[in-house]
Amino acid sequence: MKAAGKGKQHPLLAFHSALLILFIYVPVLMIVIYSFNDSRINSNWSGFTLKWYGSLFDNRQVMEALGNSLTIAVISTVVSTVFGTMAALALRRMASRKKKGVIGLLYLPIIVPDIIMGLSLLVLFSQFQVPLGKLTVIIAHITFSISYVYVIVSSRLANMGKQLEEAASDLGASPWQTFRFVTLPSIWPGVLAGAIMAFTLSIDDFMISFFVAGPNSTTLPIYIYGLVKRGISPEINALCTLMIIVSVALIVLAQWLLNRGNGNERSSMLPF
Amino acid sequence: MNKKKWFAVVLAGMLALTALAGCSSKQETLNLYSWADNFDMDMIKQFESENNVKVNYAIFANNEELLAKLKAGGANYDLIQPSDYMVASMIKQDLLEPLDLNQIPNFQYAADRFKNPEFDPGNKYSITYTWGVTGIAYNKKYVKETPASWSDLWKEEYKGKVLLLDDNREIIGMALKKAGKSNSSQAEADIHAAADDLRKLVPSVLAFDTDNIKQKMIAEEGWIGTVWSGDAAVIAAENPDVAYVVPEEGGTIWSDNYAIPKGTKNKELAQKFINFMLDPENSAKNYESIGYSNPIVKAKEFHSKEYLDNPMINLSEDELKRTEWLIDVGKHLQLYDRLWTELKSGR
Amino acid sequence: MKRSFGIIAPVVLWLTVFLVVPMVAVIAVSFMQRDELGNVVYSFTLDNYARFFDPLYLGIYWDTLWLSVLTTAICLLLSYPLAYYISNASPNRQKLWLILITVPFWINFLIRTYAWVLLLRTQGVVNNALIDIGLIQEPLQMLYTKGAVLLGMVYTFIPYMVLPIYVALEQMDNRLLDAASDLGATRWKSFWHITLPQTKSGIMTGSVLVFITTAGMFVVTDILGGAKAQMLSNIIQNQFLGARDWPYGSALSVLFVLSSLIIIGLFNRALRSSYEASKEARV
Repeated sequence: MKAAGKGKQHPLLAFHSALLILFIYVPVLMIVIYSFNDSRINSNWSGFTLKWYGSLFDNRQVMEALGNSLTIAVISTVVSTVFGTMAALALRRMASRKKKGVIGLLYLPIIVPDIIMGLSLLVLFSQFQVPLGKLTVIIAHITFSISYVYVIVSSRLANMGKQLEEAASDLGASPWQTFRFVTLPSIWPGVLAGAIMAFTLSIDDFMISFFVAGPNSTTLPIYIYGLVKRGISPEINALCTLMIIVSVALIVLAQWLLNRGNGNERSSMLPF
Repeated sequence: MNKKKWFAVVLAGMLALTALAGCSSKQETLNLYSWADNFDMDMIKQFESENNVKVNYAIFANNEELLAKLKAGGANYDLIQPSDYMVASMIKQDLLEPLDLNQIPNFQYAADRFKNPEFDPGNKYSITYTWGVTGIAYNKKYVKETPASWSDLWKEEYKGKVLLLDDNREIIGMALKKAGKSNSSQAEADIHAAADDLRKLVPSVLAFDTDNIKQKMIAEEGWIGTVWSGDAAVIAAENPDVAYVVPEEGGTIWSDNYAIPKGTKNKELAQKFINFMLDPENSAKNYESIGYSNPIVKAKEFHSKEYLDNPMINLSEDELKRTEWLIDVGKHLQLYDRLWTELKSGR
Repeated sequence: MKRSFGIIAPVVLWLTVFLVVPMVAVIAVSFMQRDELGNVVYSFTLDNYARFFDPLYLGIYWDTLWLSVLTTAICLLLSYPLAYYISNASPNRQKLWLILITVPFWINFLIRTYAWVLLLRTQGVVNNALIDIGLIQEPLQMLYTKGAVLLGMVYTFIPYMVLPIYVALEQMDNRLLDAASDLGATRWKSFWHITLPQTKSGIMTGSVLVFITTAGMFVVTDILGGAKAQMLSNIIQNQFLGARDWPYGSALSVLFVLSSLIIIGLFNRALRSSYEASKEARV
């Protein structure tokens, strides 16, 4: 759409970006290195081993926790992205007085301390006898993720004019067509960034999940926080290393497949 | 219209997925709620196959989180493992189910010290799973003189290298012991005096830490600190320069216990599990694997020599004589907490 | 109008059930008392609010605000150029960059933070490297300081800043920039007068996110700060767990939420006025 007209990148800017990426990845490198550490308590380096990668797959608790975390993250990301985007779109058209209240409501999950949200949700669920499990964790995750999606999508909308959409409906497009072919493509980067954020928050949340989780919905963060007392074993590092490799590989693969297929027009419509 | 339909589909899919996830086999299940890695998983597997049941092992990270969760009503667990002082508060708040000791015959093999403990007279609600003592761990490379007293932590030469547990009761209790008082004193003057004493120690403190104090000692970031005996054993296995003493003023003894939360549907099975784990031979296998102190005396014949000779796992009678349990301090907990906040934030 | 209400209704309903109702309960508890066991007693008091205005807690509140301001400022300075760089890459590259930046944050937070411990401790990678090159003789005490806490916070929240700024930059109308350069404006000038004002919404969103979440974070201070500096969130946490004083914890939370809402309101007002100003300037 607007790939043309970009100026050449300033070398200092490229240098800064490279440094920042390095900064982000240095701890990741440490995690990868220490996944080969022989010591169980994972404090000092005590020799190279591959055993943690083998034992990882035998560890029933880690595998269960990983499965739970991924299920919860995927479902809550999808639902909260839809909700958050809906909220941002609707609020753009609302009268300003009502709007203020709703905006306050949408910011609330970001502001409320995690422990308050976790505990108060737990009290709510137990009052209404909702059995604790994956469903309650998903509900909690959707609740806090909606806000982050809303905030990012609405910052996208803040600078967007309504002319295009008005033109589309003047030309006889149905509201759905206008949304699908005009609004959605122009807010898509915001929706995508919101979804990435929702997924990241869900996969990493401990406090809220802890309180609303039941006997068979232990997530990866709950398991890892629990391990702290005994010392987090390099098995977890091995798991993190594999997670990084798999996600980067999937992304690169998707990117490659899309590039091979239809041109740029198509790929800019899809997440990766 | 279309969007609504889409939304309905997503919602339906979501519900179906969670229903699927919640639909497990009809096997009887024991919902165990404990610390991470607190059991040898092979022992749990053995229990599962012997009794044709499934053990669901969920995890909490500290006693306070466990209590908050039980109090708020998340009590669909069959077996929990609170520490000593937490057992006492849970009893007071009527959160525990009385145990039927007749169903747990292997309890007879436990050491006398853990029968009829102060925090739960007559073992009505709890049975000790593992235990330890808070003492001083120090690195012989940097600490030349063997520490004998808590006051050694205050020495000028260790400035910036002292580690303290991040726990108001443990540390204020330590300062109280140093002054010759009970570690659970409820005399406000004594508590204030202990805090004033600690205020002089704070500038020497490298970090307050309960969970990662092991790593800090192993990596020689800290030279000397208040450490639990079981953790000291882990540290010494990784860094042979680290030694351990229980100071002459005495230290705090603690235990993690089995208890059954009120309202469980599986009391029988939970008691069966406790009994299985207390069996001398089973318990030896279990503790060899996790490396904690075994309260079962009769298990000695099944333990390795290495395990029995470890002075940090099996403390001497002499050291144990100097120990004291922490007991609930009631409304004074607020004072402990406030003084602790002041100390940690340096105000 | 009607239609937009129909779209927002499910969201409002969801948040009301799962957030507002529980929060009303929290507000109620904040006016109650506790007994010796830490149970909530249903009798009215204002004590919990009065207790906050104690130099001890006010001081901790001030420290929290100050750390949040610093974290936000540093995150902004570091992230803006990166977001700018990404938004100028080709569309396919852009997505790759975004993912590249966020993937490390799918690693568990504790594990990431412990990795910093391995890097910064006295026998850690950084100290060993510095000694090897001969820059220092004795290892530096980098961990368990305020600097380490700040570093951990900045590290944790970089994506919170990059994502919204990128979203705003990506949307920039480049014709304006082309026009400016045709008119002979320098790169710096057109950045200052065109790019920056047009991305204010992204800057504000990122700043609010970083500011609020920093103030609510407590684990970084424990792990990298050696639990020596206390944040308001540590205190709140402790009221519910260690001190078993739910009413006081609730009161602190209510105050925290209120002050955060005020700060967001101020941010939004600043955003609106600057947005209007920039619109006028363009006309």
